[in-house]
Amino acid sequence: MGSRDFDVRAASRRMIATSERELQRIVLDMHDGPVQDIFAALSQLQVLERALVADPESHQRAQQAVGLLERALAEIRNFIGAFRPPGFERRPLEAIIEGLAVQHETLTDQVVELTVPEELDDCALATKIAIYRVLQEALANGHRHSGATRQRVKVAQYGQTITLVVSDDGRGFDPKRVLALEDDVGVEGGHFGLRGIQDRVAMLGGTFAIVSAPGEGTALTVTLPAE
Amino acid sequence: MTSVRTIRVLLADDHAIVLEGLRALLDGEPGLRVVAATTDGSEVVRLVEQHKPDVVVLDLELAGMKGTAVLAALRERPDPPKVLVLTAYNDGDALRSALDAGADGLALKTESPQQTLTAIRQVYSGQLVFPQAARRWIEGRGAGAPGELTPREREVWALMAAGLSNPQIAERLGLSENTVKFHVQHLFSKLGVKNRTEAALRFARGR
Repeated sequence: MGSRDFDVRAASRRMIATSERELQRIVLDMHDGPVQDIFAALSQLQVLERALVADPESHQRAQQAVGLLERALAEIRNFIGAFRPPGFERRPLEAIIEGLAVQHETLTDQVVELTVPEELDDCALATKIAIYRVLQEALANGHRHSGATRQRVKVAQYGQTITLVVSDDGRGFDPKRVLALEDDVGVEGGHFGLRGIQDRVAMLGGTFAIVSAPGEGTALTVTLPAE
Repeated sequence: MTSVRTIRVLLADDHAIVLEGLRALLDGEPGLRVVAATTDGSEVVRLVEQHKPDVVVLDLELAGMKGTAVLAALRERPDPPKVLVLTAYNDGDALRSALDAGADGLALKTESPQQTLTAIRQVYSGQLVFPQAARRWIEGRGAGAPGELTPREREVWALMAAGLSNPQIAERLGLSENTVKFHVQHLFSKLGVKNRTEAALRFARGR
């Protein structure tokens, strides 16, 4: 690898770690700020609502406001999740993957069959983050689109390479068409799509392959350098 | 006139506005009364000593002393109050630390405060109140279908039928006593039994 390639790779890793820290800060700030405020406001408003029973019009307005704030809380819950950031610095990769699998099962009722070697070597922070985000996105896609009741996740390590395979027996799709559509990918709802997965992997010098066809299920394979 | 005993509540939360909101809500509710409130974790034990509340509503992210340490200190008391953990996070860390530290329930700040009120009444009446998702976190992945006993519940059932108490089962299985209590509660509801004797009888009759 030339030294220029190496510089770019190192810069990419720093960028991934930095943007992840930003994201974690946002999640923590949301829970420490707006969630507390809205919860407190709802408590106060429910007191008002009870006091206004004798005045139907005001009572109805208070009820509407309660409904709006409850919806705001639900949106925060759906948008950034009610989960603390996974603690990339302090937890090993297998614990992070396991946590994500349980989280997915909890939220979706879709079963995740997990195969992870007992002892994975510790890998670079940027790789850990990338595996987490790629897996999160792949599971979400598999839930939204596959129609399958279960997904399989397999993690393996061969020398300095970590491989992640996420597959299902669902309805499948045409990857070329979807990747073409995702050219101008956004981060709507925190999801960055197939193209986003591809970009993250490329930044770290990994590989990305998706095998799927309508009716044939889907298998996403990603490899990343461990260090 | 029948008088229902008022549930006396102590509130401990890092956020003063949450304390203020909950205090107003609880005091306006028949049968509930806030006897003390604090943002300082190291004050909780002293306030419990002083006011003898029935239920402590406790945020795990407290200033002064960590919520889990407060919980542990409360559990040491001869007559511990019921403890409802109130948190913004519905994740495995929050659930596990609440259960392991011996909380009686967990309510979420991302749900309506009305649910916190309901949970206070439930823990007061002796129920363990944890979100549906808690089961998954405790059992690990792939918990069985509802109604079906999980391997862990079968283990607990067998030990219970052999006459072991919750603390003994906890020690045998390397779990917290509260986690065992959690399994026992689910076991009873799945078996449709009311107590340990009925559960043991069912076990003896070939399940």
